[in-house]
Amino acid sequence: MKILAIDTSGLVASVAVTDGDILVSEFSIQFKTTHSQILVPMMDAIKKNIGMDLEQIDAVAVAKGPGSFTGLRIGAATAKGLCLALNKPLIPVPTVDGMAYNLYGAEKIICPMMDARRNQVYTGLYTFIPTTHEGTGQITYTMKTIESQMACSIDELTEKINKLGKTVIFLGDGVPVYHDKLEELIQVPFSVALLNHNRQSAASVAALAQKIYEDGGAINGMDFAPDYLRMSQAEREGGSPKGSKKTTKRPGIVRIREMRAEDITEAYELEKESLGHEAWTEKQILEASTRDDTIYVVAEKTGKIVGLCGVRNVSGDGEITNVSVSKAHRNDGIGYKMLKQLIERGKGLGINAYTLEVRASNAPAIRLYEKLGFKCEGIRPSFYTEPADDAAIYWRKEQ
Amino acid sequence: MEENIRINKTTEDDGVIFMSVKDEKENDNNTDVVKSTDVTILAIESSCDETAVAIVRNGRTVLSNIISSQIALHTVYGGVVPEIASRKHIEKIDYCVKAALEEAALTFADIDAIAVTYGPGLVGALLVGVSEAKALSFALDKPLIGVHHIEGHICANYIENKDLEPPFVCLVASGGHSHLVVVKDYGEYDIIGQTRDDAAGEAFDKVARAIGLGYPGGPKIDKAAREGNPDAIEFPKTKIEDAEYDFSFSGLKSAVLNYINGLEMKGEQVNQADVAASFQKSVVDVLAEHALKAVKEYGYDKLAIAGGVASNTALRERLEKDCANNGISFYRPSPVLCTDNAAMIGAAAFYEYKKGVRSGLDLNAVPNLPLGERERRFHANK
Repeated sequence: MKILAIDTSGLVASVAVTDGDILVSEFSIQFKTTHSQILVPMMDAIKKNIGMDLEQIDAVAVAKGPGSFTGLRIGAATAKGLCLALNKPLIPVPTVDGMAYNLYGAEKIICPMMDARRNQVYTGLYTFIPTTHEGTGQITYTMKTIESQMACSIDELTEKINKLGKTVIFLGDGVPVYHDKLEELIQVPFSVALLNHNRQSAASVAALAQKIYEDGGAINGMDFAPDYLRMSQAEREGGSPKGSKKTTKRPGIVRIREMRAEDITEAYELEKESLGHEAWTEKQILEASTRDDTIYVVAEKTGKIVGLCGVRNVSGDGEITNVSVSKAHRNDGIGYKMLKQLIERGKGLGINAYTLEVRASNAPAIRLYEKLGFKCEGIRPSFYTEPADDAAIYWRKEQ
Repeated sequence: MEENIRINKTTEDDGVIFMSVKDEKENDNNTDVVKSTDVTILAIESSCDETAVAIVRNGRTVLSNIISSQIALHTVYGGVVPEIASRKHIEKIDYCVKAALEEAALTFADIDAIAVTYGPGLVGALLVGVSEAKALSFALDKPLIGVHHIEGHICANYIENKDLEPPFVCLVASGGHSHLVVVKDYGEYDIIGQTRDDAAGEAFDKVARAIGLGYPGGPKIDKAAREGNPDAIEFPKTKIEDAEYDFSFSGLKSAVLNYINGLEMKGEQVNQADVAASFQKSVVDVLAEHALKAVKEYGYDKLAIAGGVASNTALRERLEKDCANNGISFYRPSPVLCTDNAAMIGAAAFYEYKKGVRSGLDLNAVPNLPLGERERRFHANK
């Protein structure tokens, strides 16, 4: 069968045409060009050079994700347009599976990784299982998926790899980004694929597409959409459940991001509003947030800081030092979203347990902490003054 | 005009509204024998939150006009979320192309060229339409024509006004744009005025949000204003000293916000309808005064309006009256052609096609594509 394959999920734009077990043409560019500008001209160049009649193509294969959202859509819209115009089926190929196919035949652990930003990689774990055919003695390989493609942190990934205890081959644009961290965390022998196998390749997409096609995985292009593996930021952070018609009391998207120096004044105002005389001074906030053993995040809504929280790493225990949400935005889930992110980001500092103190009478805050998995592990009587109150000590330990 | 327009609407499971717009009068023309000189263009528009595909013959006859509107999905966020919009475009685009062909009872073989909006707009959203259009153009071996979104809005006027020809003055007002444009000839535009800050539609959205009407602000204020007194509150009309045709709406917006804050401090209720009507009057006054002045001073006898704000009833009524009093012919598209659609892109593309303009397969989305001094970078015949 003849396949036209596309991969625009990462830094490489790649197009290939295969005919049975022959790679007729492959054209890849990893340069400062934009995929949208070069993709169709690349196809056009292949078409002209091999005198291709597009009608003769049996199917269009495309890396379906994960990857850069925009990159995936450029590939997807192009593949969909081709399928619609030519009336051909579309074969969606999981991006990371396609990358693993670069190393067909490797019996070691194969770990492709793409930089997914936010301290994560799109990755998966694979290996090839040999079968020797009686008579001819030829070996064929079947790809075995140990971990399906996913988005996760390097820490989670290396933990999984270390547990497998076998030699691993890394490839993909995530490797240079996280190389130092990999060296530090990985406890098994590892190597990095050379440049000829190291990035997305449309030829690999086509090779895997053939197998997917044989297994009945071709679909109507009209129904195809990329598999992003992640919700959009708005859905993650300002999220309302899918399809719900809930009207927000105070519309506007809440963005959770790291605190910057220019936020300090606003952050102080917020602290003052929510904590009164217990609030930190501007100088204290600035000092705390610029240390390298702390993480401070803020919630921003329509350009205003409406929440802030911070954590300090004390030998593996994360001491949550601040949690404030502006009065006008309480009960909007902002505290929950902020702390969720803080805990997520804290992993980067090597924090595995969190602790905080809260006024024992502050029921809404306690409800929030309990929702996040915190448990009360002690009381400090009369810790707070004006008004006098006990401090409840809460801990959240990784399971 | 409007009385002939019929819109077939269905709401899909994901909340997206699928519309097929038909002009009943046009359908009679559709039975005409196709002449060899006829140019049939399939046009795609995906610059914001509408996935739209239309088939237009000779720039003026709309054979099909499909609009897949996501507005309901973005309402909860108080505005269009680019990533959500882009994701929906990908899901809908093939269906819109197919529906446009079916509605026009045509196949790809009947299409002479593929047109697409390549800017201005949300880059991720534009890229879906641009990539789809390029793939169609490449696979079908048909010419590709990149169209400026605002030129499309202006050209929407040609669809229902068969007699309208340049030169004329066009007021373009939408959520992202406020321009006063002299249309010198087909595809030739001089911008004589534009907004210094917020677009008119943006001001509508912000004020609507402030007085609790929600998103989208344009239609909500239009409706609320009908119950209110436009003279209840005196809001300022900003004039720009050194550029008489430029607009500024941020001062007006601030005045409205201050007024509301003032009332809240005193613990008084805001009269939504009065604020809406007074604010709207202020915007309409400025838009209408500038437009009328431009037509007179440039010595034309035709004024057209375009863009989402052009469907505002107060603006339409005001300009209708002012134009009639001054012997100016007034043109405006039906409301459905004022919002984002692909029929207008097909209309604009026709005149580009006639001039021999073709885009290369390296056409890219240009989110801030300027009007007037046009981006020729991606045109094959530079």
